[in-house]
Formats: sequence, structure tokens, C-alpha cells
Amino acid sequence: MAGKSGRTIDATVNTTWKNRIFSWEGMLLLLFFVINIFCRCISPNYTIINVLREMPKYLCEIFLLFPMAYILILGDIDISVGSTVCLSATMACITCNAGLPFPVVILVTLLTGMVCGMINGLILTKFTELPAMIVTLGTQIVFRGIAEIVLGSGGSVSLSNTDGFRAIAGKIGPFPYVFFIVIIAAVIFTLISTKTTFGRSLYAIGSNSKAAYYAGIKVQKIRFIVFTITGTMAGLAALFLTSALYGANTTTGSGFEMDAIAMAVFGGIATIGGKGKLLGGIISAFIIVCLRIGLGQINMNPQVILIILGTLLVCAVLIPNISGKLNIRKKKA
Amino acid sequence: MSEYILELKGITKIFPGVKALNQVQFQLKPGEVHALMGENGAGKSTFIKVITGVHKAEEGEMYLNGQKVDFKGPRDAQAAGIAAVYQHPTSYPDLSVTENIFMNHEIKKHGMLQWKTMHQEAANLLAQLDADFAPTAEMGTLSVAQQQMVEIAKALSTNAKIIILDEPTAALTANESQKLYKIVDKLKEDGVSIIFISHRFEDMYRLASRVTVFRDSQYIGTYEVDEISNAELIKHMVGREINDLFPKPEVKLGEEVLRIENLSRTGFFKNVSLNVRAGEIVGLTGLVGAGRTEVVESVCGITKPDSGCVYLEGKALHIKNPTQAMKQGIILLPEDRQKAGLILSWGLGRNVTLPIISELGNRGICNEAKEREVAKKFLEEVDTKAVTIFDPASSLSGGNQQKVVVAKALAQDYMKVIIMDEPTKGVDVGAKAEIYQIMGELAKQGYAIIMISSEMPEILGMCDRIYIMCNGKVTGELSREEATQETILEFAMEKSKAKEEVK
Repeated sequence: MAGKSGRTIDATVNTTWKNRIFSWEGMLLLLFFVINIFCRCISPNYTIINVLREMPKYLCEIFLLFPMAYILILGDIDISVGSTVCLSATMACITCNAGLPFPVVILVTLLTGMVCGMINGLILTKFTELPAMIVTLGTQIVFRGIAEIVLGSGGSVSLSNTDGFRAIAGKIGPFPYVFFIVIIAAVIFTLISTKTTFGRSLYAIGSNSKAAYYAGIKVQKIRFIVFTITGTMAGLAALFLTSALYGANTTTGSGFEMDAIAMAVFGGIATIGGKGKLLGGIISAFIIVCLRIGLGQINMNPQVILIILGTLLVCAVLIPNISGKLNIRKKKA
Repeated sequence: MSEYILELKGITKIFPGVKALNQVQFQLKPGEVHALMGENGAGKSTFIKVITGVHKAEEGEMYLNGQKVDFKGPRDAQAAGIAAVYQHPTSYPDLSVTENIFMNHEIKKHGMLQWKTMHQEAANLLAQLDADFAPTAEMGTLSVAQQQMVEIAKALSTNAKIIILDEPTAALTANESQKLYKIVDKLKEDGVSIIFISHRFEDMYRLASRVTVFRDSQYIGTYEVDEISNAELIKHMVGREINDLFPKPEVKLGEEVLRIENLSRTGFFKNVSLNVRAGEIVGLTGLVGAGRTEVVESVCGITKPDSGCVYLEGKALHIKNPTQAMKQGIILLPEDRQKAGLILSWGLGRNVTLPIISELGNRGICNEAKEREVAKKFLEEVDTKAVTIFDPASSLSGGNQQKVVVAKALAQDYMKVIIMDEPTKGVDVGAKAEIYQIMGELAKQGYAIIMISSEMPEILGMCDRIYIMCNGKVTGELSREEATQETILEFAMEKSKAKEEVK
């Protein structure tokens, strides 16, 4: 039915290939190939086999990227995930050394992470006026503190029985198991964010939580779920991290939260909430991983690698800003 | 001395792609109150910004006291004695009133701020305006009306000879507006010339001696207020005749749909009872702060009432959040469209379907094709001025944003009660008439409608029945026939003894 004035409103979708290629995600994909060619040129060892061999220890951080992307889309932040990884990894080692069967070890690790996430979620949804930044800063210190108490005076623990963890660190051909799990998780998290009502709600809350609440979206319930998922994924990351390191110490997982946030922001997910796509975050995660492996292979100083990655991140947030300003200037001219 | 204190000729201002002002002229006599009217987007605000030096016009000349001036920026305009008070006060909420008044022109001696002098001076200015708050009060704790007084005091502190008021009454209640009128009268007596922008005709009739109308970026004409009729003025503003601003259809009222009994919430409202029938438009009016919005928020589960009952079609309801209210068929279209009603960065279509994504989807998976279809249907039904359903909500005018909010309510086809909080706030005349028409049509379709409004004409023009609140209590109920502006005001201003009882 047309309106009284007979005016009709167009509802046809026309996403052209041009739009897709020139999107932020398209640009990132291009950058991904450029980085890979660059790494191949500077390092003769940069082959698919070698990259896949080095990948597992970096892939653990990507587990944190997915839920972190959700949290940023919500307009929240969680900087306690690194400590959650530490606590979960500690629990994994302790229970494993205590001789418990491996499935129980897995369960304990995931549960530890989940409980940490639920604590964050509970505090933030019961006291909605508290800033997530400060609350998770607090729990960041608390979780790592608990881990340090559990670890005791030595500050570290090594696995005495590595059978179970050796099993999950296995490979199919050149591909480590963790690679497949990351890919599966990436597909699931991406589809949830784009195709489901839950995903739509995430964006609604991040864009305007008051309007979302008035529209009948259960804002606090969704926030709680997302924080709980985040903790659980941190547990999963801890599991694979332990399988790569065969132990845990007080610095395990430190800085993971910032890496996850950096990957997400680089991928175009804005910290103000409601903006960006998971796909971008995932591509940018692989860009960062590949660059690290490539630069590591030519024995570049790790500190210099950090400087390069930091500069890249600042550039990434600057580009949309600058191009926006240029567009405005162009219009004025 | 020239006849005009301020005169602008042939002003043209071009923004990328649009001519915001096209050969516009304007004359202000010394000591007069001059209304500037026109629909949203007619160019009034841009014009004001040219006068205050915020924008620089591409063409045209400006004369102050007969002398040609050329402002390089707002500072020049301020120095020349021109000050503007904007609709939403642009203040520093955490600073004191004195600090706000003297921001950027502090009184200094040897580089040191003279707080004592400034407080004294501020107190003098506030006394001139009959303000009821201290200069040491924190800006953020004041009401909008009080903040506006501070802005006016700020204008006076710069010794402004020309003060521009941009929609000053939009956020004020009838009572507060009266107070503002008195302040304007006083300024006029003191020889200040005033340019007054407003959508409210009452403001213009009460204050202005002459009115200039803009339409579509062009100057339409300047008229003596006493010599022009309402209908003529609207015709000039809209460019077409609006025969019936309030197209209230005759609707046969149905069964009672919603009944509220003795609803109370400590500190906000007490023993509020009201009811609304199918096809009925019930007005809920009173001064801002009378507790109108708070009552409907409690009905919709946004806040929790302490006691009392809400019945929908005879059944008692226990609503804890807006989701439950909507499931039952009660929806609140909030006053603040931009903050609570819409997601401005989203397309119109997604805004419309946001509350029903689960119903349209299948087991949590969105059905986007169906969403687009539904959004198109309802956006067209309310006649939204948009090109595609993907246009961001922020690109629409206030009136059209309100239409999107209505479309959002209509898309939930199980709705029975629609509560509209100030539906035409910040909406221009042409779009207002369209919104009233939509309301009338909703009533015809059998919706029960509650309209909260401070604007007398729309309350009188659209409502079958009117409840008036004062200090948290319903002080009166009038039928369409009984209601007049005077009786409503009488109930709305009932002495404030009721306030003590609530607390």
C-alpha cells in the first residue's frame, strides 16, 4: 500500500561488487595478501608449512578476538581476559598434575574461564552505571592475584604429564587442530553477528542502548551472556596455550586483552560500539599473526616488531578519519 | 541614525550542494521584538548563524546602525553587541552559573579572576531577570528554563543590544513560557532588540510586533503581527493551505482497553487513575515535571510503581519491563526520539523492524527479506519522506523521524494502546498536521491512544478526553466539550500543596 501522497520507498538491496571490494574488509584482505608477499620476499623460510607450524601459539589470541569483538560492538570493554587466561591455564596445569582424567581437566579449564566471565557480567549488569573499563581492570588484578596464590612461591608450574595436551596439539596434515577450531569459531561467531536476532541486538545495544531497551531488547541479559562467552573463550584459549607451552606462570596471557582489542580495532570495530564487522577483525588478526611470524623469521628484534605493529594500528584508526576529512574537503571545494 | 538597528540585504549562503539561503533580506527596528518563522529547513538557523558570524555569507550585505559590517567570526558579532540564546543551552553543566555567564569574558584584574565581582555582577543580572537560583548554583542542577535564563544573563553581561532567541519556548512548559515572556518584555523596555524564532504561534502573538517568514531558503515577506491571520501565516510558511490542522475524525468509541487505578510511585506521582477506550484519544497534560511521563513509564514497566494496578481489557497486569508491556500490547513512543526512540545511525527499515526481529525471523535467525517488506509497508503507510528504507534515520527531519517511530509501533500488529509522549515536539507545522492525521487514523483503526503534550492547541484539537496533572496528581478530567485553555491551565497550576503529600 502506498502512502496518501502515493510516495513509494525503495526497498531493493543493491550491493555491488565494487562496494564490497572497496569496503574496509576488502582493503584488509588486500593488505593480507600484500603482507604475505612481503614476508615471502624478506624471508626464504616463509612457507605455508613453516607458517602453520609457528601459528598455534598465536592462534590462542584469536580465540579472544571473537568475544572481544562482540563486547566492543556492545560498546563495552573487557580488559580482564588476559588474567582469565592465566587463571584458567594455572587451573589446567594444577588439575592435570593432580592426575585427574583429561576430560575433567578440559572441563575445569573452561569452567574457570566461564566463572570469571560471569563475575564480570554479574557486576556490570547488576550495577549498570559502573564503567566496564574500571570493573574489568579490577577483576584483571583479582584474577591474576588468585592465579599467583594458586601458583605459590615459585610463580610457575610445569606439566608433569603431557599426554592429554600433546593430543590436542596434534595435526591433520600440516594443519594443527587449533587452526580448524579457530576457523569453526570464526564462522560461528561471524554468522551469529550477521544473521541472527542476537547479533542484531548486539549492534542495537551498541548503537543506542536506550532505544534498544525501549524496543524490547533484553539489554542486560545480552550483556551478561556476552561477558560469560568471553570468559569461556578465554578458558578455551588457555587450554590451547597450555598445550603449546606445557606449563603456566604468573605472566601467562598478559597483554592478550590488548592484542585482542588491537586486532578488533584494526579490523574496523569501533570501541564506541555498534560499528564494524567480525570479518574485518578476523582478517586483521591473520594479518598481524603473519607479520609477526614473517618478521620473527628474519630474527627481527621483538621490540621492533611491537613498534611496527603499534604504528600499523595507529595508522589503521587514522585512515578512516583522514579519508573522511578529505571527503568533506572535496565536497567544499 | 538609520531606521533599522540591523539590516541584511540579499544574503545568499551556499552549502555543498544546497543553497541554504537565497537572496534573503531582514530588517530589525530598535527595541522591537521580531519573530522569524518558517518550517524546519527553511533556513532560519543558518540565517541566525550568518548574523552571529558563525557562517559567512557568499553574497549580501549587513548593516549595523546603518554602517556596513563584516563579521569574521562569532567574536566580532559579540563585540558588536549581538548575542544568541540557543534552543538547547550550550552550557558547561559542571560549572557554576557565574562561570557560565562570564565564560570567555571573565572580569580580570592583573590577570587574576575577580570572583567576588563576578558573583556580584551575576547576582545583579539574575535579579534583573527575577531568577530564583543563586549564581553559585551548579549549571547542571538547573531546569532547562533556568539554564535559558543563565544564557540570557550571559547575553546581557556582554552588553548585547540585539539578542536572538532560537526556539526558546520549545522545551518550556506553559508556566515557564509565561515567565520567559515577562523577561522578553523587560528586555524590550530596556531598549534591547530581539529576534525570536519559534514554531509556536502563541509566542509570536504574545511577543512580536512584526514577523518575517522564510520558506525553502527564501524570503517570503514581513508582516505586522496584528494584521495577519493564523491561516494566512501558515499558508505563507507551508506554501499551501492547511484547511484543517487538527483532522480529528468522528470515531465510535469501543470497550475500555486500559485502566490505571491508584497508581503511585513515591516522590513522583500519587493515586493516579485514568482509563482509555478503543478508538479514543486521551490527552495527558500539565506542566513539565507534573509526573506525566513518569506515570506512563511505570505503566510500561520502565520504572516500578509502589502501589496501584494497571488493567488491560479488564485483566490485571504485572509488567516488569518494556518487553512485557509490548507483548501485552502497550507501547510508549518516548519523548526523546533521538535518544530513546530511534537508532540514528541505522537505516529506517532496521529501526522499524527492531522490536519484531524475533517474530519475523525463525529460531533466532533474521529473515531480512521479510523485514524489508514489512519496513517498506509501514513506512509508506505513515507516508515517510525518504528515498529508500536504507536511509539513515539521522538524515530525516524531526517530523519524519516521528513518523518512523509510529511505523515502528504499527509494525507490531498486536498493539492495542499507543502512548505518545510529546509527539510533535520540534516538528514543524506541515509535518505536525500529518502526524495529527496519522493519530486520527490510528484511532479509527481502533487503537487506544494516550497523548502526553504541553501544547494546548493539540490537546484541545485532538483529544476526546483530557486528564490534567499537577505535582504528581491528577487534578482534573475534562471532556472535549468542556475543555478550554483556561480550565486546563487552572487545573495544571493547582497550588503546590499536593507536592508535600506525595513526598
